[in-house]
Amino acid sequence: MNTTAALYGGMRRRRYLTTAAAVGAGLLAGCTDLVETRQLRSAPAVLAERPAAVYYPTHVDGMAMVGATDAGPYRVALMYSYPHRFWTVTGAESQQTEISAEDDVHLMAVVWDRETETLLPESGLSVAIERDGTPISEEVIYPMLSQPMGFHYGANFGLDGEGSYSVSVRVGGVSTRRTGAYRGRFESPATGTIPFEYSATARDELPYTETMDRAGERAARRPMGMGMLPSSALPAPAALPGVNHGTTTIGDARLLIQSLSPPPAGLAGGPSYLAISARTPYNAFVLPAMALEGRLTRAGEPVYVGDLSRTLDPALDYHYGAVVPSVEPGDRLEIGVRVPSQVARHEGYETAFLSTETATVTLA
Amino acid sequence: MTDRPALGRRELIRSAVAVGGAVGLAACLDAIGEDAPKGAPPAGVADPSRLPERQHAWDDRIRHDDAGNAELPRHQSLWYLELQEPPDADARVSLETALETLDRALERSHDGLLYSLAYSPEYFDRYFAEPLPEGLDLPPARRLSAFETPEIDRQDALLHLATDRPTLLLEVEAALRGELDRLNGVTVETALTDVFDLETRRTGFVGAGMPAAEASEVQGVAAGTTIPDASPLFMGFKAGFARNQATESYVTLDRGPFAGGTTKHVSNIRQRLDDWYGEQSYEERVMEMFSPGHAEAGLLEGAGDGLGDDSKIDRFVDDIEADASEYGRVGHAQKAARANRDADGNVLLLRRHFESSDEGQASLHFPSLQRGISQFEAVRQAMNGQDLTQVSPAVRQRVNNGILEYIFTKHRGNFLVVPRSLRALPTPTGGPS
Repeated sequence: MNTTAALYGGMRRRRYLTTAAAVGAGLLAGCTDLVETRQLRSAPAVLAERPAAVYYPTHVDGMAMVGATDAGPYRVALMYSYPHRFWTVTGAESQQTEISAEDDVHLMAVVWDRETETLLPESGLSVAIERDGTPISEEVIYPMLSQPMGFHYGANFGLDGEGSYSVSVRVGGVSTRRTGAYRGRFESPATGTIPFEYSATARDELPYTETMDRAGERAARRPMGMGMLPSSALPAPAALPGVNHGTTTIGDARLLIQSLSPPPAGLAGGPSYLAISARTPYNAFVLPAMALEGRLTRAGEPVYVGDLSRTLDPALDYHYGAVVPSVEPGDRLEIGVRVPSQVARHEGYETAFLSTETATVTLA
Repeated sequence: MTDRPALGRRELIRSAVAVGGAVGLAACLDAIGEDAPKGAPPAGVADPSRLPERQHAWDDRIRHDDAGNAELPRHQSLWYLELQEPPDADARVSLETALETLDRALERSHDGLLYSLAYSPEYFDRYFAEPLPEGLDLPPARRLSAFETPEIDRQDALLHLATDRPTLLLEVEAALRGELDRLNGVTVETALTDVFDLETRRTGFVGAGMPAAEASEVQGVAAGTTIPDASPLFMGFKAGFARNQATESYVTLDRGPFAGGTTKHVSNIRQRLDDWYGEQSYEERVMEMFSPGHAEAGLLEGAGDGLGDDSKIDRFVDDIEADASEYGRVGHAQKAARANRDADGNVLLLRRHFESSDEGQASLHFPSLQRGISQFEAVRQAMNGQDLTQVSPAVRQRVNNGILEYIFTKHRGNFLVVPRSLRALPTPTGGPS
């Protein structure tokens, strides 16, 4: 640590930056160096006491739009922020990914269908960064949830200093079951390339807010409005097709129970369809990549026992569903989480949505 | 030898091979020092027409480890070639002469030179009206997963050169370019580059110690990442165990005009090694490279010496869906093996991969020999594990799905390794044009 850093050691980087900017450009240059040297501001430590539920985070990093482009049937938008800590999930285990010394930015991509303006939460994405035709980095990036940003794909990246980069976002073909007008779509990969002018100074001017006064409360920040992006909130029950039979909660995940008849186009049998729309509390962000099982009984007799399959449908949006003979009020439905949502999480979501419990509901 | 403390001798030799040409040759001679293979390389044959018809018959001409696993020549290059003119009799004579010079000059072995010349389906399509024989399984290369976007290599021909002697590799290349009068005492009469333009040259290496030595040269290996010194490949494990490889006989075409030949798919795959090593423990790497069962049973030590001549993968193939559910991960070898056996349990593919640091990127050149390209495609599709993403959401398109998170396919090309007697600009019927 250099002398200046030592002097300001106890001060949050953002406040130091503000002070430096007020003093003058000369100092600001030094300050950028300082930030580069220190690598990163010190965000507050992860709370020692966290509920096993969604909670209000300790801080919020601002972000900026890098650009957007078309890629095959998709529209891809790219944003960046400070490098973030986040948690990946494998099975029911979450593991924190620390910010590494080489990381310069957290890149975030959002992918949606241009035709329906609907987010696609289960593509495989990779990002390739080049500078003057020279590869700098190439990485598979993870689906993630953050309170300010909602659902996105993200990763921390190290760059090769300030300057002009090109960032290619490659969207893999989707293998999730698709119904209705989504049948036969999204099968091929598509790539969109977005120029990125990186400056550490500009990055360090992104807002950074500590929220220690509310940190740990069972609440969530409101999402930032990113005007040009479709929302990652799922439709309200009234906006979903079919009949709503209530909502249950597992591990703080909200599971809306819907039925409709006939099933979405492309699914044989029925004649009814049971759909679970899984979302975060407060913000109704999509919770993808779970393995759910359902057991529907009527007067003690099983009506349907089996998987509720991950499905993309233009009207139901991303959901978990099964073709069933019928769904009636008064039926008992057990919903079991075999594998919790494998989406990676930013702070405030990492302790939620990990439960593998079973909920039992009497349908409304 | 010049004193250059910043680079080790091995890296110097390797970078000389990568640079190639006269500059590379000079640098290589400079760097090679005293412990290169001693003396002149062993001489070739007086009568090249007596060499085996199988250009891919390498297995009895290379080193093997104690368990009997093939060890490929340490230095290799791939010449992707474009014809200057449509094939004719003069070009055939000129090319055959250039190749016979190699045959006469150098023993066909790891200590001399192993090579093969193969032709793309595009070559046959471009220059000839007649089709390739019915039943020859040689489609143009294509994308083989829902997430890759490789460049397709459509050059006319692929010359694959391999030797343990780095300087010799450069000398052979100089002879093929017509820049040497004599090669190992044999007069160089014609240059391969009189017939072909060298459109792309890719180089590589394989063998214990080489990836570790090369790690500092490539981007995508974080400081502090240690590739095990015993590993012949960047990802830290041996591959191509004898019992998990097809035999040369098995992959050889047994009928038709190209009997004695084989098909060859070559991909080039960039590797993201810092995440492979940085994000995962040894156990996790074993799970993702082999299978969760390998990690559970502790079958591996280090780079995999304890496995002998068999990766034991066949034991774990049937566990794959259970592994996806239980561990949230499946293994690369475990997935691929599902499609890499015939009804009698014979392995279909003979893989001859080697590493590269071309352009400062860690990548893998992946030549695979098989009777038909559709066999390769089926194995690659099994390796995609798309079915397993539906078994457990923990296994995603490229995450927890073998090694797919860490590899990026950049090139694919398909070729026909013709029998030796047809190697100079063959026609689709195998006959004279």
